[in-house]
Amino acid sequence: MIKKKGQGKRFLQTLLTFLVLIVFAFPFVWMLLASFKTQAQILSTGQLFVFKPTFHNYVAVFKEYDFLKFIWNSFVVAFGSTLLSLILGLPAAYAIARHHLQKLGLLILVARIIPGITFLIPWFILFSKIHLVDTYTALILSHMLVGLPFIIWIMISFFEALPTEIEESALIDGCTHHQVFLRIIMPISGPGVITSSLLSFIFSWNNFMFSIILAGDKTKTLPIAVFNFMSYSEINWGALMAAACIITLPVLLIALVSQRYVVSGLAAGAVKG
Amino acid sequence: MQYSWFNRNLKWIYTLPAVFFVLLMMLFPIIYTVRISFYEWSMSATTPPAWVGLGNYIALFKDERFWHAVGSTFYFTVAALALEVILGVAIALLLSREFKGKNLVKTVFLLPMVATPVAMGLVWMLIYEPTIGVANMMLKSMGLSPLLWLASPNQVIPSLVIVDVWEWTPMIALIIMAGLATLPSDPYEAADVDGASAWTKFVAITLPLLRPTIIVAAMLRLIDVLKTFDIIYATTQGGPNFSSETLNLYGYVQGFQYFKLGSASSLLVVFFMLVMGLTLFMIWMRKRLEGAS
Amino acid sequence: MKKSLKPWIGTGTTLIMAATFVAGCGSASNTTQETVKPSAAATAAATTAAGAKPFAGKTISLVTANHPWADAIKPLLPDFEKETGIKVNVESFFEDQLTQKLTVQFTSGSATPDVFMYRPLQEGKLFFKNGWVQPLDDYAKKDANYDFNDFSKSAIGSTTVDAKLAGIPIITEQEILYYRKDLLEKAGIAVPKTLDELQAAVKKLHDPKNEMYGFVARGQRSPLVTQVSSFLYSEGADFTNGDKATINTPEAVKAFTTYGTLLKDYAPPGVLNMSWPQAFGIFAQGKVAFLTDANSLYNNAIDPAKSQVADKVGFAVFPGGKAGSKPYSITSWGLAMNAKSGNKDATWAFIQWATSKDVVLKTQQKGNPGARTSVWDKPEGTTGFPAALVPIIKESAKAGVDHDRPTVISVGEARDAVGEIVQKLMTGETNIQPVADKANQALQTIMDKDKTK
Repeated sequence: MIKKKGQGKRFLQTLLTFLVLIVFAFPFVWMLLASFKTQAQILSTGQLFVFKPTFHNYVAVFKEYDFLKFIWNSFVVAFGSTLLSLILGLPAAYAIARHHLQKLGLLILVARIIPGITFLIPWFILFSKIHLVDTYTALILSHMLVGLPFIIWIMISFFEALPTEIEESALIDGCTHHQVFLRIIMPISGPGVITSSLLSFIFSWNNFMFSIILAGDKTKTLPIAVFNFMSYSEINWGALMAAACIITLPVLLIALVSQRYVVSGLAAGAVKG
Repeated sequence: MQYSWFNRNLKWIYTLPAVFFVLLMMLFPIIYTVRISFYEWSMSATTPPAWVGLGNYIALFKDERFWHAVGSTFYFTVAALALEVILGVAIALLLSREFKGKNLVKTVFLLPMVATPVAMGLVWMLIYEPTIGVANMMLKSMGLSPLLWLASPNQVIPSLVIVDVWEWTPMIALIIMAGLATLPSDPYEAADVDGASAWTKFVAITLPLLRPTIIVAAMLRLIDVLKTFDIIYATTQGGPNFSSETLNLYGYVQGFQYFKLGSASSLLVVFFMLVMGLTLFMIWMRKRLEGAS
Repeated sequence: MKKSLKPWIGTGTTLIMAATFVAGCGSASNTTQETVKPSAAATAAATTAAGAKPFAGKTISLVTANHPWADAIKPLLPDFEKETGIKVNVESFFEDQLTQKLTVQFTSGSATPDVFMYRPLQEGKLFFKNGWVQPLDDYAKKDANYDFNDFSKSAIGSTTVDAKLAGIPIITEQEILYYRKDLLEKAGIAVPKTLDELQAAVKKLHDPKNEMYGFVARGQRSPLVTQVSSFLYSEGADFTNGDKATINTPEAVKAFTTYGTLLKDYAPPGVLNMSWPQAFGIFAQGKVAFLTDANSLYNNAIDPAKSQVADKVGFAVFPGGKAGSKPYSITSWGLAMNAKSGNKDATWAFIQWATSKDVVLKTQQKGNPGARTSVWDKPEGTTGFPAALVPIIKESAKAGVDHDRPTVISVGEARDAVGEIVQKLMTGETNIQPVADKANQALQTIMDKDKTK
């Protein structure tokens, strides 16, 4: 009886998982298929899954000079802004969580609350005065303003959920607070750190508004490349889809690899009673 | 215990770099925007801004289109957020158990969030196209009558909510999955010993332990949903007939299509206060649910 | 603990605030527009290659829209560099992002870009009034070889603001009628020459049960305004007349009603959210008989990679109304110089080169309809377009009207006000006069406010 119940439950779970997968993957699958179609095929209802594929679109994307530079620029900015956000954010989140510094946490959240367009003109004025337009610096700083609050707030909830016994026992053993943070808390914060930095990376990767204004010839990032295929008198749907698929690939790989590090369970046995 | 200066001031040393950075980046834009909101300016290089005091704000509150945008923003936000949180938690639980291909499934599940928003917006626009789109194709194949989706003032916001839920539920699920991964195993072992059912375990152990994570995820998402721009801009530009125009979109239109920087700034200031108010409310709710100070 | 840090925080914040006030006191300086007298050197730059390279080594920045003209000009830039020694850095953006970027940079008083593409009818007036563009009158008239008078009068008219030349026209377009040759042939219908004939033909070919719709055009609020303009003009109406808004006159209402009811009764579902990509998309899937829109979009209908009815599409002059056939014939894009450019003479050298007879011929051969009469008159000047389209272009340009939207400064707002009338018609409003009156009042208010700018 119990065995049957277990099987039934597992079957239901597998079915649901499948369903979720299909629903959430479908538009992306549509986009992937479209990247191999001509515009006429994309717009027709009769050729959804069965059609004669073409590689034309991908050729068009790579003929777009500098596409590799786009990828490199996006990578530098996303990696740089995420790394710096982690360096500034993790200690801050820990301190805010442990010492209940609500006001500072709120202040940092304000950065996220301000609508993005508010920043465009003032930042351009500022950055052009100090000659930082079209530099990685300006882009990284602006993207950090999006990622940092994110990382801090997600980590705050993680740190708050950590029972204080571990830290207390470490302090009794003679560690300083700083050592507690670096040697004890950080290693067990894997899931939270991976998740929040992955999200920060994604936000930076897809950030469009700040890049249009602050990037120039040397630092153009990927989302702008997608718009290359939208012109005044035609939208190159196929190439656009191809570009979008290519842009997604690096992030997917990073996500796939980093998922392995989201390990279950607290350091078992670290604190028992 | 010996406390060095470093250890005594640790909490400040840990927090102040982040705080300073944020202040540095935010202060000028805030001052600039608030200042301009008291002027009328078409961004001219030859005509200086004209002082109007509270004129922009008064005009804003008399503006029918502004109130409509407020309504649309709330409608969109409440619907999208509620669905995303509920679905996000449910899916997080579903995907947290061990099964074959788990990593692959979780990665595929991330796709909606990872894909370039502009491209996805265009894809959904084509999916929703009443004549040649897949959505109506599926409805017809199920024997249902086709809908107008984005072209109907009544259906446009629900249609956009679907897109948003599709795109961002994975984010909430991701955060919650990480939260689930850090849950201690002791309470569960104890509950198993007591013979508790899966549902009881969920309600009595998981939910309370996850609450802080859920609330933070919901709060972060709340802020972003209120500011949704990309998908609305890519699909309807606020139409038809402004029925999908949210506050953020209206602000963009005022600034970059109407070239009225003063009006746009006043709208952005009001919008900011709105989002701030809601965030404070959520934080207060969080405190109450926690019980502790 | 707190005590020791407080003065820290205090000084830090004060410093930040001081810095921001210094940096941020707006960029509106009270300068009047200066008319720069071009140096003699500028005129010699592009035309005499006799070793005169006064700007050798200079770099100018060009910002374009994603447009076939930009695609045609980019491969020619090395020639320009060889001739003059000026290096051109070019960046291209999609329309909306172009406006956004230009707006942010010009508001901040930036010296870049030196030269840029812009839409004379959409932002020309505003850019000029904002002091963002350099008047080009003196530059354009200096060199006789440039032959400024070769540009068509209406094209120059659209880039002239307050009697000053704000930019040089580079792309022109007209509204035409696209139709399905095969469907008309099968039903024995002649190509409609009047709006009444069009409506009859649309009705005859409308067969929704078999997924065939009679007519499609832009239905989105702001985009539709430029396309309904031809309907307006052909009924003898216009958006404005002098200082008065005139979108509620009987002729105007008739025009709006024609367009609105065509879309309400004979268009595919969802037309309320259609701009040209969707309208052409459905037409290209073979589901519509007639479409009215700009001739510049013809590729979407006749390119086999884009259209399933590529070889079945015909072009016709816009059907006439009470006042005859009066489609718009406008300058859709122009080249302008940044008023704050640091290299004005070198920039003019580029503009002069890019809009010279030789280069215009080259770009026009790639399918970019320019504004130089002499190039249109040459047989090799029209090889870039489908043969069937050329006579239509020439015919449409003859009686064409030189604007396709209200000629105000606040074009964005004006378009949204006008578009409401048609959208209300499309959603079934039968008593349209009050709507037109209200919209007219809104337009009048916009025009009056513009006067103060």
